[in-house]
Amino acid sequence: MDPTEQIVNVVQAATVLLLSPLLAGILARAKAWTESRTGPSIFQPYFDLAKYLRKETLVPSVSGVVFRVAPFVAFGSYLLISVVVPIITPYPIPFASTVDFLGGGLLFGLAGTVTLLAAIDSGSNYSALGASRTVSFAAFAEPTLIVVFFAVAVITGTNNPYVTNNLLASSLSAYLSPTHLLVTAAFFLLLLAETGKLPVESAGLMEFGMLEDGRIFEHSGRLLGLFRWNGWMKQFLLCSVFLNVFLIPWGMFSAPTLGGALGNIAILLAKLLLVVVVLVVVEATVAKVRLFKIRDFLALSFSLALLSVFAFAVLGVP
Amino acid sequence: MIASDEVIALVGVGILLTALYLQSESFVDPLILGIAVQSLLLGVLLGWLAWTEHSLDLAVLAGLAVAVRAVFIPYVLRRQIRAFRWRIRERHAAHRVTGHALAAVAVAIIAWFVFQQTLASAFPEVGGALPFVLLLQGLLMLATRANTLVQVMGYLEEENAVVYAGALFAQGFPLFVEVVVFLDVLGVVLVGVILSIQRDVTGTPEESPLEELTG
Repeated sequence: MDPTEQIVNVVQAATVLLLSPLLAGILARAKAWTESRTGPSIFQPYFDLAKYLRKETLVPSVSGVVFRVAPFVAFGSYLLISVVVPIITPYPIPFASTVDFLGGGLLFGLAGTVTLLAAIDSGSNYSALGASRTVSFAAFAEPTLIVVFFAVAVITGTNNPYVTNNLLASSLSAYLSPTHLLVTAAFFLLLLAETGKLPVESAGLMEFGMLEDGRIFEHSGRLLGLFRWNGWMKQFLLCSVFLNVFLIPWGMFSAPTLGGALGNIAILLAKLLLVVVVLVVVEATVAKVRLFKIRDFLALSFSLALLSVFAFAVLGVP
Repeated sequence: MIASDEVIALVGVGILLTALYLQSESFVDPLILGIAVQSLLLGVLLGWLAWTEHSLDLAVLAGLAVAVRAVFIPYVLRRQIRAFRWRIRERHAAHRVTGHALAAVAVAIIAWFVFQQTLASAFPEVGGALPFVLLLQGLLMLATRANTLVQVMGYLEEENAVVYAGALFAQGFPLFVEVVVFLDVLGVVLVGVILSIQRDVTGTPEESPLEELTG
């Protein structure tokens, strides 16, 4: 195997690991600006992480082994995803052939499931409540994800995110096709729901409507730190896939060199800033929907994804 | 270069999206704006067809669609609800966004299957099924709503579907312009006269006899 490819592999994993807290920090800071606050430093998530890793870890006496193992399994899943999707290269790196789009979705599912199991294993009612809430909405979010995969497969004839990226970057008519536009809209709504953004969830606040934070209520110290990191990695990965596969497939250096990969990191950061602006505008302008209305939001996302496949069937253009 | 078919496909899907929005919205004022946007998109489609086929008839129809359907009828409808514009909505608690959105997609898929089985060979144009789908969306809206204003919008959506179908399939058909003008006049009469009478007599746009049957 080409050593450059191996290095690019490691660089991509490191990019996700090290830059995901930065994305969270920039988001928090930008959100603070819209609320006329100075806000925390963009490096605050790194400080938080360092603090979590130093702190003592308390484990409930009634909890089992899943409680302790789950953060590591979820962390491993996200790390694996970070080397199989197009993040800093428009060409497949060695690990990319391990799984296709559906496999990536299953790895996201695995991480989500072990987090749920850890919440139930904690023996706490609050965590279990968070878990039950998450699943009751995930039941509406998962079908959307599956239909998004169908739509991607319909556009390119394969289920490979790299092929999708190359086709969309090279063909304007494929980019402007109704199927692609609808599936991009559906994926964006899903992104808002999965990363705990308004109007679905106002993350970080200890409130009744919390979903993501509800599940990790009982974790502390290092385990909590890992869960937080998992959340940031998930956000980074979903935003990267949204940008590189759906919204802005252009602009990446295609030369398989280390320099090209490093240049692509800068380009990715620039693209991510655009997503930050969009997310902040959404967060500043929409109100949180009531808990039972989240289902409506996800149903809309599902309808759009379904319509994208429908548009292909009716119009016959990808 | 974007081909003509792709423009027709994009605008067609835009019209379908407005139909989905109309199904899942329960407040009347945004519904009126929704039907205005749908008519505007229809006007754009007619304008595009007029441009590519150098057809004066279609250009006139595009102008009519925008003037009557996208501007005049929504204006009259908004006047109808002027006094209580921000509050008026479907009163039935049974109205659920999830159910209506999914029903709309389900009806669209059924409509497409029926079209494929029956009419597809006669109308092979790109997006030929869309007018048929839109017609059934209007019908669904008429069937599931109890508010007269919303039902009028279901009817307008059906008219839009007829105009859409005519634009795609019946170009050069002598009576086409007359039929569309007739539908426009019918729409104006419907919203201008019948709704006013209903409002003056019953004081509400809700259908009360239907409510008696809901138990």
